[in-house]
This record gives sequence, structure tokens and C-alpha cells, in this order.
Amino acid sequence: MFRKLAIAACMLLVSACASTNVKLADMAGPKPPAGSKILIIQPDVQLSMLTAGGLLEPRADWSQQARDNLAHEISATVDGRSHTITTLDPSTVMEGRAGQLMRLQEAVDVSILTYGMMGVVLPTKKDKFDWTLGDGTKVLADTYGADYALFTYGRGSYSSGGRKAAWLVGAALGVSIPMGAQQTFASLVDLKTGQVVWFNMAVPPAGMDMRTAGGAADLTKALLKDVPL
Amino acid sequence: MRRLARVAVAAAALASSATAYAAEPIPEFRPHNIRPDVHTDEGGLWATSDEVEQQIKASSELDHDAQLTGYVREVACKVAFDYCNEIRVYVLDLPFFNAAMAPNGGMQVWSGLLLRVDNEAQLAFALGHETTHFVRNHSILAWRKAKARTSVAMVVSLVAGGAGASILGNLVYLGIAASLFSFTREEEADADRYGLQRAQEAGYDPAQGVNVFRSLQAEVAASDFDKVRKEDARTSIFDDHPNTAARLAAIQEEVKTLPEGGKLEKERYRAMIRPHLGDWLKDDLRRKDFGESLHLIDHLLEQGEDLGVLQFYKGEAYRLRRKNGDLELAQAAYALAIAQPDAPAAAWRQLADVEQSLGHADKAKTNFEAYLAKAPDADDRWLVEASLKKLSAGEHS
Repeated sequence: MFRKLAIAACMLLVSACASTNVKLADMAGPKPPAGSKILIIQPDVQLSMLTAGGLLEPRADWSQQARDNLAHEISATVDGRSHTITTLDPSTVMEGRAGQLMRLQEAVDVSILTYGMMGVVLPTKKDKFDWTLGDGTKVLADTYGADYALFTYGRGSYSSGGRKAAWLVGAALGVSIPMGAQQTFASLVDLKTGQVVWFNMAVPPAGMDMRTAGGAADLTKALLKDVPL
Repeated sequence: MRRLARVAVAAAALASSATAYAAEPIPEFRPHNIRPDVHTDEGGLWATSDEVEQQIKASSELDHDAQLTGYVREVACKVAFDYCNEIRVYVLDLPFFNAAMAPNGGMQVWSGLLLRVDNEAQLAFALGHETTHFVRNHSILAWRKAKARTSVAMVVSLVAGGAGASILGNLVYLGIAASLFSFTREEEADADRYGLQRAQEAGYDPAQGVNVFRSLQAEVAASDFDKVRKEDARTSIFDDHPNTAARLAAIQEEVKTLPEGGKLEKERYRAMIRPHLGDWLKDDLRRKDFGESLHLIDHLLEQGEDLGVLQFYKGEAYRLRRKNGDLELAQAAYALAIAQPDAPAAAWRQLADVEQSLGHADKAKTNFEAYLAKAPDADDRWLVEASLKKLSAGEHS
């Protein structure tokens, strides 16, 4: 009995040491020249708590904390490169044309995830990475005087104390109970053409918590890997 | 046996951790203008509701008639009393009897509900019901109950599973999961009771609450589908309750405790929804439950107003249903429609179409011509002209 519990605890520790699951999409288009104006769309983060019984309870405080952490890290990272940055809080523009583009971007990013990284293959996207929002993105270019926009999303859940206890009990009995998990993804869009020039997805391991400053810094590093900025 | 005992201890620890979550006690009535703290479970529900509300604002189903939304808001305010400034109203063009209240005070009212209530008093009852969900903190109450129940289900199924009876474990889990869907009965009954009181206090006839349920029952009984008739429920605010009859009985008892009489505002109500009748009936026909649609149209006809529009859509229902004899029924309905001042131009075209199918060439010709006279710029003018040409050619052959 205790041996089983010890093994279960070990598995928790081992998973905390796992590396990030970073996948990199192909480059499409030239690297933005030095001095480009980059519009950083503040991260859209929604986190919830996985309760003992398996319900997802939305946690506004976690979402806010992670959003602030990631926003800070992303700005700091891009600011260190040779570009000018502007930031935009998407929740302030959701009703206009810009809001439509935010929704379109999310839909395109989710499609890239689904058809590029989840093993579902679209015949037209099999060998190339040529996703685009269309040149309607010029609206963003004109409104915010920007050349490129960087979008970031974070979704997922963290297990509650009760859920962790359930996991331990389950492990002792040989029953597997799924735990909370998170996923982040980001894309860089050429606002002149609407072309998605870079896309990345990062799944943090158990120990990398975006609700903490350190976790957000590590996750941002993984998420912005090879971003052509 | 020792193993089982240890599992029980661990399960007990899990159960206590599930309930140990520091939750603020829920007041009987919501304090005014309080946004819950972001660190609480209720704060999470509000943040999610805010997201949903953003989506509603951009939804293609959102009705942009400011006068209609303003009117529904006005009635909502009457029954919300001092909670008025905390509630936001969105009318959605969706053809089901439904309204919903988000935890943050965002209220959705679907066109299917507006089409089915007879007067302002009935609307007031429905909106009073929704307002009660907000005022009495039903969202957070329901959420905490769901959480407690699923945790208990998890513990029980783990213990049962650990004892080697995994089938039993599943049954326990399923049993409790099923009860999850009926437990909101309590909140729905509470919303019915307080909703009725709110409508009555705002000056409306409380007996109209009973009529809402009666109409709903009658329409469901007229459904084309066995399943709908047997389930006695639909996508509606009254959905969660397995038995409309039991709820109707409870409301009838409640009405007896309230003062009799009150406003109906029948004419005012119809005037407000009049400009939308055609669009909403067209949406309703898309549900393809012609038994229900025809029942609804007949119910609307009882008021003796809007006969042109209503008879036209009655004709449309028969035309789309295509049962034996429906062509003749459609013809009769269109014929009644064109005799009314509010008949849409399309009524003449549809009538002509049916007459052409039934072989009444002369009548068809007259009505196609009448259609073109009434709608000279119609998009389908060329089609109608082609039909006329065909009819004229027929005369000469």
C-alpha cells in the first residue's frame, strides 16, 4: 500500500522534471527588418481549477495573474530586440473591426493547432505553412501604426488540493485520474498581408507555473523560441 | 480488509479537502452593486460571464431593435425593482422559448419566448423568474452544490472501485451525476415563486404565470414528434424540471396566496412585438416542428390582430409540411391572408404558386400579376414573369 503511494508521489516529481513540449511551425516570409513596429496584443489567458470531482471552476485571479506575468515577460523579451513595440489590450477593442480581427486570429490559431499539431491533416495544408488572415489586417496596421502583431493565448487548469488527493487515492488503487494541464500558443502576423509568419505552442511541465513570475519567464522563453524578431 | 480501511481513510481525507474550500456563506438576497472578489469561486463565474457577454454583444443573433430591447429592459426593471441598474438585457433572435440569467447580471431573452407570451404580465413573470436567479444568488448556489456532489461521487466511486466492485462504482457515480441535473429543481421552484411575487408587486396579474405554463404544455402536446410530446420539456427556462405539470400545480397554489387581478397590457405588448412577427415566425418554421408552429400561429390568431401576417405564415407552415391535403390548406390560408391589409406581398406570389400547382391557371395569373403590382422591384420578378409567360402560353395551346 505505502509502496504504491510512494510510487505515485514519485511520478508527480518525475513529471515536474519533464521538458517543455515545444513545436515550431515552418517559417513563411522574410524576417521582419530591424526597426519594425511590433504590436503586442496582451495575452488572452483563461485558467480554471480542476475540482476533486472533475469540474472546471473558472479562476479570475489566476487568469489575471498569469496574464500580467506573461504580458510583462513578452514585452521584456521583445523589447530587448531591435524593434519598436506598442501594446494593445484586446478587451478594449472587441466591438469594432479590430475586435473582429481578434476573433478571426483566435479562430486561425486554433485551426493551426488542430490541423498542424494535433495529427489531423488538411490536404491543402499538408506540406506547407501558409495560414493567413487576409489583408484586412491592414486596419490594425493603420490604426496602430504597426508592421507586425504578436498574439498570445493561454488556456488550461490546475488541480485543486482535493483533485491531487483523488489522484493519490486513485493511483494507490490503480485507477488513473486526469490532472490539470495547461497550453499556450502564440503567433506573429504580418499586418500588411495578414500572413501568419510564425506560430508556436508550448505545454508547460508540472513544475512550470505561469501564475508565478519565474514560471511565466520560463514559459515565455519556451513559447517565443525562434520567433523571428 | 486492511487495504480497504486505508483506502477509506485516504478517501475521507479527499472528502474533507473537497469541502474544506474556504467559501463565503451565500446571503439570502444579493447585496447591491457588489462585484465578487477575483479570488473567489463567484469571481471566476463572473469573469467567465463577462467573456460570454462580450460574445453576445458581437453575436449575429443579437436583435438590434433598440425600441424592443428598451421595452424588454423596462419590464425587466419593473420586476427587478432596486436591482434594475445591475441587470443588462440582450434580446436574441432564436426561435425557442428561453431566457437566461448570467451570474454577472447579463440577461438573455430569446425571441421564441417573446413570440409565445401573450401579454406584458406573462413577460413580467418570465423576467421576474430570471431576475430571481440573480437576486437569490442561484448561480453560485448551484455551482457549489454541483462541486460538492461531484466530489462525493468521486469518493464513493473510488471506495466502491477499490473494493473490487467497479461496476458498482460506475453505478454510484452515474446515479449521483444524474441527480446533478435535477437538483436545480430547487432553484427553479424558488425562481417561480419569487418571480411571481415580483410580477405581482410590479402591478401585474399573477395568474398570468399559470397561463405561461399552460400555453407551453398545449404547444408541446401539439408537437409533430412523439419524443417532444412525451418529454414534456424543451430548450427552455423550464427545461431542468422533469414535470411541467408539477410546476404548474405549485404556481397555481402560489397564485392563491397573492392578491387577485392586475395589469395585463395585452395591446401594448402586441404592438411592441408586431414589427418582428414575420421574422420570428419564419425562424420558428426552421425548427421543422409544424405541429407546434401551427399551434403557436393559431394561438396568436386568437387575439384577432395581425391576421394578414399570421395567415401568411400559416400557409407557409402547410406548404413546407407537404402532407396530403396541405396544398389546399395552404391555399385557404394564403387566400385569407390577402384579404387583410397587413398581408405581405409574398402572400400573393405564394397563393399564385399553389394555384398553379393545383391547376387554377386563371387565378394563378391574377395573383402573380397582383404580386408584381405590389412589389414591382422584387428580386424574383424575372421568375414570376417566367411563370406568367408559361401560364399565358398554356392558354394558347
